[in-house]
Amino acid sequence: MSALLTVRGLSAGYGPIEVLHGVDLDVQEGQVAVILGANGAGKTTMLRAISGMIPRTGVVDFNGQSIIKTAPERIVSLGVAQVPQGRGTFTDLTVDDNMRAGAYVRHDHEVVSDLALWYETFPRLKDRRSQKAGTLSGGEQQMLAIARALMSRPKLLLCDEPSLGLAPLITKALFQTIQRLNEQHGLTVLLVEQNANLALDIAHHVCLLETGLIIAAGSPAAIASDDAVRRAYLGA
Amino acid sequence: MKELLQYILDGLSIGSIYALIALGLVVIYRGTGHINFAQGEMALFSTLVTWWLHDKGVPLLLAIAISAALAFVGGALIDVGLMRPAGRRSAFAPVVVAIGLFQGLNSLSGLLFPKSGQGLPFPSLFPNKPKDFVSIFGAAWRIERIGVLAVVLVTTALLFVLFQKTKIGLAMRTVANDATSAKLVGVPTNRILMFSWALAAVIGAIGGALKAGIDTNVSIGSMFSVFLLSAAAATLGGLDSPGGAVIGGLSLGVIESLVGNYPHDWPASDWIGIKTKTVVAFLIILIVLLVRPSGLFGSSRVERV
Amino acid sequence: MTSTLRARQIRYGGSLHWILRAIVAAVLVVLVWRMVSGAVPSSLGKYTEAMALAIAALSLNLLFGFNGQISIGHSTFAGISAFFLGYSIRFWDNIAFVSLVEACVLCFLVGVVIGLPALRLKGPYLALVTLAIAYVWPTVARQFIERKVTAVTGESALTKFLVRPPSWTGLKNTRQDRALYLFWVALALMVLCYVVVRNLRTSRVGRSLVAVRDNETAAAVMGVNLARTKVLTFGVSAAMAGVSGWLIAAEIGTVDENSFTILTSIKYILALILGGAATLTGPIVGAFAYFFADDYLKRHAPHWNWLPGKFGDGPIASFLLGVLVIGFVFIAPQGIVGLCRRIGRNIATVVPEPIRGPTHEPANEPNNLPNNLPNNLGESTS
Ligand SMILES: Nc1ncnc2c1ncn2[C@@H]1O[C@H](COP(=O)(O)OP(=O)(O)OP(=O)(O)O)[C@@H](O)[C@H]1O
Ligand SMILES: [Mg+2]
Repeated sequence: MSALLTVRGLSAGYGPIEVLHGVDLDVQEGQVAVILGANGAGKTTMLRAISGMIPRTGVVDFNGQSIIKTAPERIVSLGVAQVPQGRGTFTDLTVDDNMRAGAYVRHDHEVVSDLALWYETFPRLKDRRSQKAGTLSGGEQQMLAIARALMSRPKLLLCDEPSLGLAPLITKALFQTIQRLNEQHGLTVLLVEQNANLALDIAHHVCLLETGLIIAAGSPAAIASDDAVRRAYLGA
Repeated sequence: MKELLQYILDGLSIGSIYALIALGLVVIYRGTGHINFAQGEMALFSTLVTWWLHDKGVPLLLAIAISAALAFVGGALIDVGLMRPAGRRSAFAPVVVAIGLFQGLNSLSGLLFPKSGQGLPFPSLFPNKPKDFVSIFGAAWRIERIGVLAVVLVTTALLFVLFQKTKIGLAMRTVANDATSAKLVGVPTNRILMFSWALAAVIGAIGGALKAGIDTNVSIGSMFSVFLLSAAAATLGGLDSPGGAVIGGLSLGVIESLVGNYPHDWPASDWIGIKTKTVVAFLIILIVLLVRPSGLFGSSRVERV
Repeated sequence: MTSTLRARQIRYGGSLHWILRAIVAAVLVVLVWRMVSGAVPSSLGKYTEAMALAIAALSLNLLFGFNGQISIGHSTFAGISAFFLGYSIRFWDNIAFVSLVEACVLCFLVGVVIGLPALRLKGPYLALVTLAIAYVWPTVARQFIERKVTAVTGESALTKFLVRPPSWTGLKNTRQDRALYLFWVALALMVLCYVVVRNLRTSRVGRSLVAVRDNETAAAVMGVNLARTKVLTFGVSAAMAGVSGWLIAAEIGTVDENSFTILTSIKYILALILGGAATLTGPIVGAFAYFFADDYLKRHAPHWNWLPGKFGDGPIASFLLGVLVIGFVFIAPQGIVGLCRRIGRNIATVVPEPIRGPTHEPANEPNNLPNNLPNNLGESTS
């Protein structure tokens, strides 16, 4: 197994404020890695730094290639798709157009068949394909955001708190979907989650982020057995 | 009744030019959230280039095509060289630059084409002799007017195909909707904005040539009122709605034409007529805006700052 | 732009600060004295016009710099006021000063009426409405002249209204004395407008203006009466533009529908940008800079023989001004005043006294552009 994403000493922030103070992270190909952390720990910032949306320094290697100087839109075409926190769907565009926009970086002729594939995976979207995304429910928009990201045929999916604002049942279904994508399609996933219990269930690797630093990393079992972690994140 | 039809037809064809230029404004507004105050002067400059080429013996249509191609490059350069760096300065800087560009381009036109102050003779694009008209239900519709309307409608249709059916159109719509998310799906937002400016400049070149053709004249001041009326049309339709721009432009043209031909024996004809047609048109738009603050078809999304 | 030299710190209200202030005041007095002494009517008139432009820029600044509203229609208020002066003196035998007050009230009211849509309209839509107003004005003015002036006198413009110096000034009704009189009136009005803006800025009302500009929703939550603040600002700003129009009309002595067009409004905006929007002195500095740059270029640029042939004859001045304004966005985004301040800061900074009372007026003008440069006074300004 090789690391699809290697992050070393990554620092990033907003203007004069540095939020990430040199974090290290490895995401192995075909695995689900989960980042846990309190509000404001810098999880979203970390994903943004990886996808190039904010200025960053350090080492970010994707698929053996450095992407630290690469523009965000290039990074997408290399195979990193992001589902941003708060979904970021194009509310004025139809579901269909959202999905097609997701395939923007592709130049092959299989967009239509992929469209069919993901509509099959998310049937609710298919029923609403000509509806404007802004009129979808929160859960449907979250599905759309994920489906849109998948349309780019990513090797790595960055997923920021997909369960935010979803009912427990839907969250559960969503996690099952992510797991299925990982197992059946071999999709590598880097997941940010507040819902630690659910996330640990599907994770192969977990790291804990606190005020811009990784304070612990390891297998879910190891992390879950750590007392401090249990108290802070698992509520037990 | 016959006259009424006549006025509406006349209004439609002038209005179609407003609609076209308004589309140029909308294209840029959707991408940047700013009104391009230099749109009229960009059109003026291209039209003068067309005139110059034609004057040097280039066939008119070819001259228009060359000047549209130059406009495409020029528009892109304006974005890359001025607007984008300005946008990094502050949210308001692009507006100031556009106003400066307005003044700069207008006087540059005067410098490069010294006689354009008084007006340069511009050939009509279509037959425009007194006998060149077709009669529709008794109303005389001049061929040149039909030609202008046809050109605009075809251009507009092509633009809509571009927006709705092509990949670059889809990218333009994503940028208009949410630039950050557009980047996240891999849309090169800067290149899309550059394309929008280039497209707006081409639209200006076409609109300018049509207007000059109808007037058979192009002068330094001729595009300013077109810009204003187009801006009004875009406002009426909703600044971020291409369909609204077209409907706004056509209705503005018709309103103007109807008010301009207000019968002398009707009430208040002292105040409504050819001299006050723009005032009346603007008043109507103001009333529409008071009822619908973001135009007839504009989205009332929270404005970008 | 950090200088290796440590900038000298001047304490606010300290003796050095007072000396600086005295020097500035002295320089201003000398400047005014130089303007007046031995001046012929035409050069006095230029100063008057520059000051009128300054007043217009001040009024625009009130709206735009402090309240975030853009108006391209301010030429219209100036036009209304100019027409009012001309008409009321010529046909009603009005006293000039009465007409000034009346014109201001009129502009205020029109401004309030036009400001009302501002409650509902956002940014670009409002800008376009004011643009439309500026565009419509010449038509209205033309109608007015035709119906009210030409019909009576046969003239095609409002003319033959003179603002005569009152007898207590000791000035006679000659061309020279009238110019001198108007110069002083302009100076007084400009200072008055400056003081009004300055006080508005530092008052409670002023702070609510800035609050509205920076974040409407938050301002409303904090209890700022949005509607009243916005509409009143528009009204006051319109009245001030009226003062400017009154002055121009009094100085030039004839107005028609082409005296106040959109280009006039654009001139106001350019002057403001050149000087520095959202600074107190910016409009005045910018107006003088713009006016005299324009004047200089108009007179000299046609004779620059290094320009390629025919360029000298065309609107070269206007072109260079356009280039200048664009250049300023990149070189000095906060205008001349901002630039001077940035340079000055490397030499000396005025620091506030250690906290004593609750109200502290910062020594430098409060600088409130949204994207502020790192500011040595940052902590004390806002
Ligand atoms: N656009 C921004 N500008 C300035 N500071 C920001 C910005 N976005 C986030 N921050 C700051 O960066 C820090 C980390 O934010 P981040 O969004 O990465 O947290 P997070 O771990 O994702 O939190 P949450 O669980 O609430 O989503 C916070 O202190 C936040 O205030
Ligand atoms: Mg987050």
